Order: sequence, then structure tokens, then C-alpha cells
Amino acid sequence: MIVAGIALEAISCIMYFTSRVAIRHEAELRAKTELRKAELEIELHTIEMETAAKTLALLVEKHIDCLDSVYAATDLAVRTMRTFTSVAVAYVPDYFPKAGRYFEACSSRITEDSVYTRQIGSAAHDYTEMEWWQNGFVHDSCWWCEPYMDDSGSEAPVVSCSYPVCNAQGEVVAVVCVDMRLDYLQQKLPEYLQVYKNSYFSIRSSKGGDIVRAMDTVPGRKYNIYNEEIDATGWHIEIVIPDDELFKDLNHTGKIVGILMLLGLVLLAMMLIHSSRTNKKLLESTAKNQRMENELYVAGAIQTAMLPKVFPPFQDLRNVNVYGTVKPAKEVGGDLYDFYVRHDKLFFCIGDVSGKGVPASLVMAMTRSLFRSITSHDEDAASVMTKMNKAFVEQNTQNMFLTLFIGILDCQTGKLDYCNAGHNAPVLVESQKSKVEKLNVVPNLPLGVEGEWEFTAQQVQMAYNDLLFLYTDGLTEAERSSHEQFGEERMMKRFTDEGMKGLVDPRKLVEKMQAEVETFVDGAEQSDDLTMMAIRYQLPALIMRNDIQQIPTLAEWVDSLGVPQELNMQINLALEEVVTNVMLYAYPGQNGQVLVESGKWKVESGEKLIFTITDSGIPFDPTQKEEVDTTLSAEERQIGGLGIHLVRQIMDEVKYERTNNQNILTLVKKL
Amino acid sequence: MTTTIQENGNQLVAFFSGRLDTAAAVQTAEDVKPLLEAANKEIILDCTELEYISSSGLRIFLSIRKEAAAHGSKVIVRNINADIRQVFMMTGFVSLFVIE
Repeated sequence: MIVAGIALEAISCIMYFTSRVAIRHEAELRAKTELRKAELEIELHTIEMETAAKTLALLVEKHIDCLDSVYAATDLAVRTMRTFTSVAVAYVPDYFPKAGRYFEACSSRITEDSVYTRQIGSAAHDYTEMEWWQNGFVHDSCWWCEPYMDDSGSEAPVVSCSYPVCNAQGEVVAVVCVDMRLDYLQQKLPEYLQVYKNSYFSIRSSKGGDIVRAMDTVPGRKYNIYNEEIDATGWHIEIVIPDDELFKDLNHTGKIVGILMLLGLVLLAMMLIHSSRTNKKLLESTAKNQRMENELYVAGAIQTAMLPKVFPPFQDLRNVNVYGTVKPAKEVGGDLYDFYVRHDKLFFCIGDVSGKGVPASLVMAMTRSLFRSITSHDEDAASVMTKMNKAFVEQNTQNMFLTLFIGILDCQTGKLDYCNAGHNAPVLVESQKSKVEKLNVVPNLPLGVEGEWEFTAQQVQMAYNDLLFLYTDGLTEAERSSHEQFGEERMMKRFTDEGMKGLVDPRKLVEKMQAEVETFVDGAEQSDDLTMMAIRYQLPALIMRNDIQQIPTLAEWVDSLGVPQELNMQINLALEEVVTNVMLYAYPGQNGQVLVESGKWKVESGEKLIFTITDSGIPFDPTQKEEVDTTLSAEERQIGGLGIHLVRQIMDEVKYERTNNQNILTLVKKL
Repeated sequence: MTTTIQENGNQLVAFFSGRLDTAAAVQTAEDVKPLLEAANKEIILDCTELEYISSSGLRIFLSIRKEAAAHGSKVIVRNINADIRQVFMMTGFVSLFVIE
């Protein structure tokens, strides 16, 4: 028993020390995971700033002598980026002789939504003496200043990043400076960095200035310190865990073990053997799982937060409809899509970053930010792509690349300007011609391969109701368990299948394709992200219930179309007659809808206005109604039949068709 | 859309004001009922304030015209705007009414 007691004592000592090692190991893993997440969070912001600074520099280079453009660019940068406090462009002295020796265009955020833009350079505000200007002037990459307290009232710590602007001769003529508030980071980071209840953390700039100040250490107390350096800014993040905090639980357990030892050696021995076997395994696997889950969680959250999620996206723009979706694989990938409307143009892109995991989703985030910032000033697809590529190659330290398709659709004319960087060719469904084909694309090169590559753009004219379907290879390369792939041919065939043919709603189309793929793979695990986006160019539409009291909305709608004044009443009248017919007769005793769409077509002989009136009611062809005789006397005239007569009188063409259980009446008026 | 009827001795004047579309026609048909029963009167449909008319409005006008003929009354349409005149032309209503 004594021998057993000594042996047991030895075993428990060994147990204690191996546990200490395991706990320390776990703490290290945990600290490093959290540090990496914090680094990611910070990098997201710094990449955003560097991208903004570089984009701004590019823009200023282009409009170097146009002060209005420079003001507009700084103003827009502050408005777009919520975390930016101010953006400035400061020229070398005497650059604009008329504007005085010093010239600094500066936009500052006054409140959430208001931005103040003006010239602030003066002898009193001599920026050439300032560190940011001097360093921005001599460095040809982004230069990060020491964080400082903002003196403009918000009292928040601020950091700025400078970047030089060159003229056509390559001489530096101005410096761009972007300021970002750090208080957001200060609030956000404890989520990651407070790993234990009594641990603490600090962030210091490259010169040792405190961004988040650490607690003072107490002499005699032991500490475990873990740190990480942020590449771009040179900041150090440090997590400090006091030793006694780390082993608090273990010491507590040690006491219980002691008591248990007194209670029964055998029982204790059994317990020790049992726990020594399982404890270590458990610690190892939980630490590993936790790290992976955390990484995936952060990356996934970043990814989904960036994609447009509200469908239908445009309340005010009625002639484009877009739907997009990403179905992520188990491991986070780097698929992206994005779209937005500016100046009646739809800017959209879809892309696929090489590789998976956190780096891929970081690249994806950067790509989206580049797409947004460059397209905010550039409406030429080839030039946008070339600029994105240039910026991407500069920042691409990990040799990643991505395929990307960019399109800019003029919602007024239907003209699509597009540029492809090695991405799968989208599918164009031409409803007028009942034709489905791959869009003709020049492949160019993927982004990130060759910084000097000049991308070529192409154009196509979209007709009303045409639909563009974009996807990533997660669709065509979806595999069933036999490794057979969904494939391009199968995908193309689906468009002409019953059920998908004539499907004009982007959301329904994408969902149908999704269902087709799911049927095909039959439960096999998805290995790559599956991203799809569909864009329909359509007639501006009005939807009404079959309620006569809705008729006045029709007049408002016609007014909003901007048809020539002298035709306004006639068009309103013709549409009212047709719509009234549908409301009264198409849905006997039931609720239903009537859809009115309009469009303008250019034909050889001039312009035509086209209207289609669609309902899902019982078959009813108003053109079959007998023509009224307007020459009869009042006594002989029938009360009815006037409506369709007016429609025929006003319109140049009236055509009825019944398809997909819908009545579709098309009215054409020549202008 | 409002309809007001005034009686001046032998004359019945209906003042129409607003847009006489399908939605408004239901109420207007109610409002003009007194005109349908009037016998041996001069019925004046004053359209000075009438902005718009669709076939349901025209039907009301036509029924007034038919009833008047049956009761020995006479119908005059007064002050129609250019848009409404066009509608009257397209439907042959110009030859059914006396238009002032």
C-alpha cells in the first residue's frame, strides 16, 4: 500500500505536470487563434484604407489638374466608408500658382451623414512639415502614421495612411491621406482578445505608441505572453495571461485529487488511469476544433455580410431585376457576386478566388471593395478591370488569383458593356428570339496574374425581357457520388426544358437551377461554393389587383413614363379600357392580378411605345369582340363595346396571345 | 370626381368635375339618376371641369342621351376639352350630342 501510495504520488505528480504542459499548450493555441482573428479584423480595415488611398491616388492622377474632380473624389471616399473621418489630397507647394503656395483638398466627416469639403492648406497649416506628408512623399507604398488622438472633437484615436500621387512624368506631385477612427476596433477587439477572465491585451504601434494600453505587470508574478505583428501597419498585438490565472482550475483540481487520494487509493488509481488517458485527447481535439470553427465562422461571416441580400433589390428602378445566391461549401471558399445601381446603370460582377479558407475570403472582400471604389468613378468595363487588376497585383502577396466577370448595363438603352477575366462565359437567354446561348467572351487573363495586362471589353445589346445568367464553376463542376459532373451541356439544356423555358423571374430561374443541381448530385457532399446570379432587363411594370378602385394608380403610372404630352391621355385611356376588361372578366369571383409593362423600341421608321398587359385569368381575347358601328344613331347604338373600339382607334397594333396559362395583350403605338 | 345637378326652370344642368374613369363611374352613374327620369327638359352636361373620360363615362352619357330621347328631353354637352373632344370623335359621339 505504501509502495502503491508512493507510486500513486509519483503518478499524480506526473499527471499534474503533464496537465500543466497541456493547459499551457491549449492556452497558446487559443491565444494564437484569437490573435489571428484580431489580425484579420484589423487587416480588413487596413486593406480597405489602403485600397481607398490607392484608388484615390489613381483618380487624382487621372484628373490631376481638375480641382472639382479632386474635391468630388475626396468627398465620395468619406461618404462611402463609414469608418473614415477624413480624406485629403495635398499638393507640392506652388503646384497651383493661383491657389497660393499651399493646396490641400480635404473632406471631413461632420456627422454620420454629412461631409465637409474644402481647401485647408495655408502657411499656418503647412502640411509639408507634417510627418504624413513627408513620408507619403518619399515612400512608394502606403505609409502608416503613428496613431494619434483626433483633435476635431470626436476625441477618438485615429490612424492615417498616406500614398503618393504622380503626374504623367512619374514625379510625385501630391500626397493622399486617409484617416480612420480606431474606436470601432477598440470596441470590437476585446471579443477576440479577452481570452481568459483575468487576462489582458495590448496593441502598440511600430514605434511603441499605445493603441490599446496593457495593464502594468506585477513583479514576482509569472506571465505568458503571445504576440502577433500586423504586416501592413507594423502594429503589435499582445495577449498576456498571468500564470496563476491559467492554472487556477488545475490547482483547484489538485486539491480535490488529494482528498480523493485519502478516500481510496484504488478508486483514485482507477480514476487517474482513466483520466490520464482521456484528458489529453480531449484537450487536443477541442483546441483544434475550436480553432477551425472560429476561423470558418469569421470568414463565413465576412463573406455573407458583403453580398447583397435584399431581393428584389431596386424599388425605384423598375426595369432591371436581379437575384443572386451563394451556396457555400463546407470549407469557406472565395466566390463572390455584387451589384448596385448608379446613374441608371447596373454595375455587377461575379468571381471565383483560387483556393479556399480565410485567405480566399480576404481576397474576395478586397475584390468587392476594389470593384465598388473603382466603379464609383469609372463606367468603362475594360478600364475598371485593368485598374482592379493593377491594384490587385500590387497587394497580392500570396500569389492568389481570381476569375472575374464585370458588366455595366445601361438601364435606359439595354446596352451591356462587359469584360471577362478568365471567368466562365455567362448565358444570355433572349426571350424575343427564344434563343439561349453562351455570351461571346474574350477570356483575357484572370486577375492577379499580370499587372500590366490590358483587358478588352465587349458589348451586347439586351432586348427587353432578356436574361443574363452568371455562375461560378461550382455549378458546372458539381459532382454526384460517381464523380460525374453536372457539366456545361446539361446546364445549357436545362434552360430549354419545360419548367424553365420562359421563366423570366431571376429568382425563380436561379432557384430552379439550384433544384436541378441538387437532384443531380443526389446528396453528394458539395466541394466548392456554388454561386449564381441572374439579371433580367425588363419593361417598367405596374401590378394591380382586380379591383376597379385601383384604376387611378394607372394614370399616375402613365404620367411617370414620360410619354409625349399629347399622347398621355390617349395612352392612359387605352390602357384603362384593357385593364378594366381584365379586372371585370378575367377572374370571375376570385382575386387576381394584372401586370402592365411598357417599353420604348427604336425601329427603322422611328420609335414605338409598347405595352403588354398580362393576367393569369380565364382565357379571354378582347380583340375577338365585334367592332361597334359609330355611325349609328343614339337609339340604335349599343351601350357596350366602346372600350375595345377606343383601344383599336388609339393604338397602331393590338395583339392577343395565350401562353403559360396567361392572357397577354400587346399594344403598340408609333411615335 | 364630383357631379352636381342644378335645376333652372326648364333646364337641368349637371356639372362634372375631375376624372371620370372606371373607378369613378360607379358613383357618377348614381349621381346622374335624376337626369334619366327628367321629362320634357333641356339637359345640359357641363364639362368645363371634366378632365378625362373613359368608356364607362361615355356609357353614362349615352344612357342619359337614350333616356332623354325616350322622355322627350334634349341633351346638350357643354365645354369639352381637347382630349375629351378627341374621344368623342373616335367614338362617333360628336354626332350623337349637341356640343356647345
